[in-house]
Amino acid sequence: MKLNVVNVLIPIIAIVFIFALWVLFAGQSPIIQPISYNHKVHIEEAGLECIDCHKYAESMTRASIPNIDLCEDCHGDEPISKSPEEKKLIEFIEQKQNIPWKQIYSVPDHVYFSHRRHVVIGELNCSNCHGNVSELTAPAQYPFLIPSMGNCIDCHKQLKITNDCLACHF
Amino acid sequence: MSKWAMVIDLDKCTGCGDCIAACKIENNIAIVDPEEANSGRVMFWIEMVSVYEGEFPNIKIKRFPKPCFHCENPPCTKVCPVHATYKNDEGLVGQIYHRCIGCRYCMVACPYTVKVFNWYEPEWPVEFRKCFNPDVSVRTKGVVEKCSFCAHRLIKVKEEVDLEGRDIQDGDYMPACAESCPADAIYFGDLENKESKVYNLAKSSRAKREMENLGTEPKVVYLSKRE
Repeated sequence: MKLNVVNVLIPIIAIVFIFALWVLFAGQSPIIQPISYNHKVHIEEAGLECIDCHKYAESMTRASIPNIDLCEDCHGDEPISKSPEEKKLIEFIEQKQNIPWKQIYSVPDHVYFSHRRHVVIGELNCSNCHGNVSELTAPAQYPFLIPSMGNCIDCHKQLKITNDCLACHF
Repeated sequence: MSKWAMVIDLDKCTGCGDCIAACKIENNIAIVDPEEANSGRVMFWIEMVSVYEGEFPNIKIKRFPKPCFHCENPPCTKVCPVHATYKNDEGLVGQIYHRCIGCRYCMVACPYTVKVFNWYEPEWPVEFRKCFNPDVSVRTKGVVEKCSFCAHRLIKVKEEVDLEGRDIQDGDYMPACAESCPADAIYFGDLENKESKVYNLAKSSRAKREMENLGTEPKVVYLSKRE
């Protein structure tokens, strides 16, 4: 029987194409948060600053992601707005259950990244790495600046900061 | 630029091994199975070396702690094919685990045999997993590791002093071993700072450097009246 080249090639090409797509887009799926938090409203209407919720950005390595213990300071039993997202939050507060926020920005275990060093000593703005968060009406689904070594090194070179391995890896 | 160095006073050292315990905890060093440890695969970043002299019953025991010597002219960095080990501007010999390919050339090159290899994926008792030092990465199987002079502490100290707007002073930056030594036998500081204890002690008549003839210029100095 004569082998039909087209019949063999098409599935192979299809498999290779799907594999290539998977390689290209794997890990880049959008991150959906349990509550569609509106940064813009909190900054513009409530008058909050980044540091009010991300409390440790100026004093520790991790900036920290706030949870119900902080949210409930403003969001009590009665909703402030008509937003359905606030209702979700109040449910979490009533059930005393922490909001399972998903982390967008993270560095591997072998990298030491200190927010304090970058924000206070380096005098960087939050927007340098996180983009213009104050304009976001829904949570970011992708990191603004991927915390990869290439991006770190680029910025360090630009600002003439040390690129010594031991400054970040130990 | 600073040049970090350690001085170990063997006339004060009691050989208690507190430095070893502190180092092991501080740096998340893997616990090796006793059988494997006996076959020379034990993992320490600072080791207590015992030298026995004379014949029983007149035995003299010399014990001295041996960390990485952070040589000024390190032989290990010259043989690394991937630049995973290198000497930085402050004289610290760094080991970058995620760059290491595990060829172990550096272990062979080191005349002081202070480097250790992760033969196995480290297994931790459940209780230990909760008390890892978050500032030090946990190594994986197949990489070489060694004493870093607690370089992670230096970074933290630099942050602190930058915030306070001053320079690092003598005693600000101390590795875990020096901090824990109950006999205060381990001194640590900057050789470039003429007011530092280490600078003055390194010049003392008791000061000895291990295998000085090799030209490695170790930055760990021993003080001892004995030969």
